[in-house]
Amino acid sequence: MSAAGVRADHSFFWRKLHSFSGIFPVGAFLAEHFWSNSYALVSVAKYNEASRELQTIPWRIFVEAGAIWLPILYHGGYGVYVWWKGKSNVSQYPWVGNWMYLLQRWSGLIAFVFIGWHVYTERFLTQGKSTFADVDKALANPWYFGFYLLGIVAASFHLGSGLWNFLCKWGLAATSRSQRAAGYLGAVVAVVFSVVGVAIALSIRYHWRPFEFYVQ
Amino acid sequence: MREPKIIVVGGGLAGLMAVIRVAEAGVPVDLFSIVPVKRSHSVCAQGGINAAKNTKGEGDSTAQHFDDSIYGGDFLANQPPVKAMCEAAPGIIDLLDRMGVMFNRTPEGLLDYRRFGGTLYHRTAFAGATTGQQLLYALDEQVRRFEAEGKVRKYEGWTFLSAVLDGTGVSQGICAMDLKTMEVRTFPADAAIFCTGGVGAIFGRSTNSVVCTGSAQSALLQQGVDYANGEFIQVHPTAIPGEDKLRLMSESARGEGGRVWVPQRPGDNRPPLQIPVDERFYFLEEWYPKYGNLVPRDIATRAIHKVVFEMKLGVGGDAAVYLDLTHIPREVLDRKLEGILEIYEKFLGVDPRVEPMMVFPGMHYTMGGIWVDNEHQATNVPGIYAAGECEYQYHGANRLGANSLVSCIWGGMVAGPASVKYAQGLSKGCESVDVSVFDRERRRQEQINQALLRQDGAENPITIWKEMGSWMTEHVTVVRHNQDLERTDAKLQELLERYKKINLSDRTQWSNQTLNFARELYNMLILARVITLGALARNESRGAHYKPEFPERDDPNWLKTTRASWKNGQIRLGYEAVDTSLVPPRPRRYDVAS
Amino acid sequence: MAEKKSVIVRVRRQAGPNERPHWEEFELASRPHMNVIICLRDIAERPITRDGKATSPITYDSNCLEEVCGSCAMVINGKARMACSALVDSLTQPIRIEPMTKFPVVRDLSVDRGVMFENLKRMRAWVPIDGTHNLGEGPRMSPDTQAKAYPLSRCITCGMCLEVCPQVNDNNQFIGAAIISQVRLFNLHPTGAMHARERLEAVMGPGGVADCANAQNCVQICPKQIPLTESIAEVNRQSIKQALLGWLFG
Repeated sequence: MSAAGVRADHSFFWRKLHSFSGIFPVGAFLAEHFWSNSYALVSVAKYNEASRELQTIPWRIFVEAGAIWLPILYHGGYGVYVWWKGKSNVSQYPWVGNWMYLLQRWSGLIAFVFIGWHVYTERFLTQGKSTFADVDKALANPWYFGFYLLGIVAASFHLGSGLWNFLCKWGLAATSRSQRAAGYLGAVVAVVFSVVGVAIALSIRYHWRPFEFYVQ
Repeated sequence: MREPKIIVVGGGLAGLMAVIRVAEAGVPVDLFSIVPVKRSHSVCAQGGINAAKNTKGEGDSTAQHFDDSIYGGDFLANQPPVKAMCEAAPGIIDLLDRMGVMFNRTPEGLLDYRRFGGTLYHRTAFAGATTGQQLLYALDEQVRRFEAEGKVRKYEGWTFLSAVLDGTGVSQGICAMDLKTMEVRTFPADAAIFCTGGVGAIFGRSTNSVVCTGSAQSALLQQGVDYANGEFIQVHPTAIPGEDKLRLMSESARGEGGRVWVPQRPGDNRPPLQIPVDERFYFLEEWYPKYGNLVPRDIATRAIHKVVFEMKLGVGGDAAVYLDLTHIPREVLDRKLEGILEIYEKFLGVDPRVEPMMVFPGMHYTMGGIWVDNEHQATNVPGIYAAGECEYQYHGANRLGANSLVSCIWGGMVAGPASVKYAQGLSKGCESVDVSVFDRERRRQEQINQALLRQDGAENPITIWKEMGSWMTEHVTVVRHNQDLERTDAKLQELLERYKKINLSDRTQWSNQTLNFARELYNMLILARVITLGALARNESRGAHYKPEFPERDDPNWLKTTRASWKNGQIRLGYEAVDTSLVPPRPRRYDVAS
Repeated sequence: MAEKKSVIVRVRRQAGPNERPHWEEFELASRPHMNVIICLRDIAERPITRDGKATSPITYDSNCLEEVCGSCAMVINGKARMACSALVDSLTQPIRIEPMTKFPVVRDLSVDRGVMFENLKRMRAWVPIDGTHNLGEGPRMSPDTQAKAYPLSRCITCGMCLEVCPQVNDNNQFIGAAIISQVRLFNLHPTGAMHARERLEAVMGPGGVADCANAQNCVQICPKQIPLTESIAEVNRQSIKQALLGWLFG
């Protein structure tokens, strides 16, 4: 490549939008999603109540499209392009950061596929009126259940590691000490999200409701 | 008016400074360098750059800097140019500072200065222990800026083969070889400035970089450019021996308080830190109480030789002494010397912050070089200029530490405008020279290549080079005996004979480093003879040139510049008077106050 | 320790940029404190392979041999290293020596790193001064700023941070950590900072700072321990600020 012949483009904007969109709104939505689904750990009624609440917000289709589907589509689609632009060499240089780089790409891909399937089955096949019974039925299938667990962990890891990346790549953690702290923060986020997400899946499949005593 | 054209050969400090000055004058300039200029040998300079800025309230002055330099050089340097350099030095520091060199700072935000050899003042500005690197980068960046503006054209990966001289002996350009394609090409220019650095490779192993062969200087000599004071070779007292090179351990280590010592008792094999202080022999401090560890390099080197070879006190019976920094706080070491400590740590696996370093003198610098006039950095061939280590002008018989960077930059500052003035004053420039002049030189150089490539013999260039290096190091460095010098010259002539039978074992025409090395080797052998013959002739001891048979400086007979020239394929030595008009020569005694 | 009499070296050779690479193996006499440069010199002195075939000396880049010129970076036993500081005693044998993979091979171990210098040009990595005439002292600088900038100015442009970076490959023209770190260096200097905007605009261009994906391999491999990931984060911060504020307020 001849550097002199480089033409200006907008890649900086798109790339930064990509990393930002992973945190907001996509990451934020994941947090909200896990929060409302956690009602499954309380009771079926609370779960359905929370679902119904969300399913009946005003301007629903616009909020869903603008705050969830489009950002995820962009984040995932551009993410695939980002993947194509990288070439892992972790076998040669097996450092932690390099592993994270590789896992970030695989977890993103897995999460993207999972989310696509999840939205299709739970949002569109149910005409937007998914209830506990629908999810319960889906998770009864061990393959689906396994896919859920994988998707949840991949998305959680991707968010945690992505948060670390975001803090570094927006220059919010600009010393090696703060970057290390950001790494720990990302790890905590990944673990917390994984635990909560897996707990929700277990709760639905095994009807395990550790917080049921709230409503008894 | 016609547009002049200037060529600069060599992209170290001197070359880059010359390029900047020529470009600033609005004259197009081509820059030739074997390596990308950012990788030039100037990067290896460590300790700092001298300028009498007197920021420590010690009463330092440029006059004092001048006197220290002349005295340190044992009165062999022509004095007016040295005076001009010392007077320019503070401005050079300011310029470098403005270019963004990350010099160490005082709490007030001013440049910090440290002590160096051969002076009692804090006169050396420094950027950690990688000052040369920092300065080179600053100039490299300025040149890159001119390059981006189209004022400079770089030919990196090209090596200089010869000057193109017209029938009247005036330089009209250069002949160079692309080290990738092996293409030989001529480049017309009204003037060419040579900034081709040191000659370390002639001594096999030295503190110099691989490209410091002196090949260009030798090629010029063989075309009629005189070479002066070749016999004055600086052997740095503290280097880390290695099979591939001697890695410099900067004088700044002593400038920051490092102490040189050996165990008092021969064969004392205890680990250094278990040897109590009163059983150590701090010989420099004892012999030179005023300057201590900061005597000039020739003095320190001879002292180490004496301790090791005469007194047999080398560490573990080997050729080594301790350079001890362990008493200096780690924070100070890391802030001021990290670059060199890192080298020791990486190459020897020992942390010099906790264990004294083992060092020994190593060939470091040539005071001698291409003869230039006193004002314009001009050689005796019209159109050829020289600046930096490759010329002889500023350091006399011994260079003071941290004076080399200032002499390189100053030389470039002078040579640039001088060459422009010369080129602008020409009524007819290189464009009016008949093309056959260039063709002839190109063909001559191509024939040398072809002959080398065709040649079939049993000699290997590396083997010849190693032999030359070990002879030169053994007999033409610290201590010189006439008998050995004669034998060395005979050996060099034998090697020149054997050179005719070298086998390149690579006959390709693409990135053939062996061919280039073979060409350099021939030039090294010639220049080795210049150095040796100069040393043989000079029957006195002065600065770095020391003959036990003639232990004293002999001003009546030898206060003169050696000027080697090339006559009918032979080296001829001539002499000329030294300009001592400013400071009358006085005895050089560092053991008593000056 | 068992006495090792010889050093076995395997070199990946390539006669030219478009030639097919092949391996050659050499057996060299072992000496104390050998490094990879000494091995290559030994081969040049006796260019005969282990199985007795005459060959040519190996073409490679080197200059200072003390890890400050940046020339001799190559891939040794699968990892990017400076050949001069790669001590034979610390390497598993046979020692495999290959050219770096992210730059075009010239011949054998020699590669063309010209793109790095071109990118320094693109990033305007210099302090623009008015001239070399005497204009007095430079701007004052706190020891803290110097302490921050000095490590950055020790970059030797060896290219190893590009070699190990997964973002530098055929699909991506990422300029790499070394160049971005230089942007930070010049933006730190009081005079350089006056022109920070030009540099930031350049570093926001194609292959610029946004292409870093935070694998952080650069900081692991850097032979000069330059805090490259800090530099990238800092340049990211500056350029985002420049992009947002520049867009909002001009």
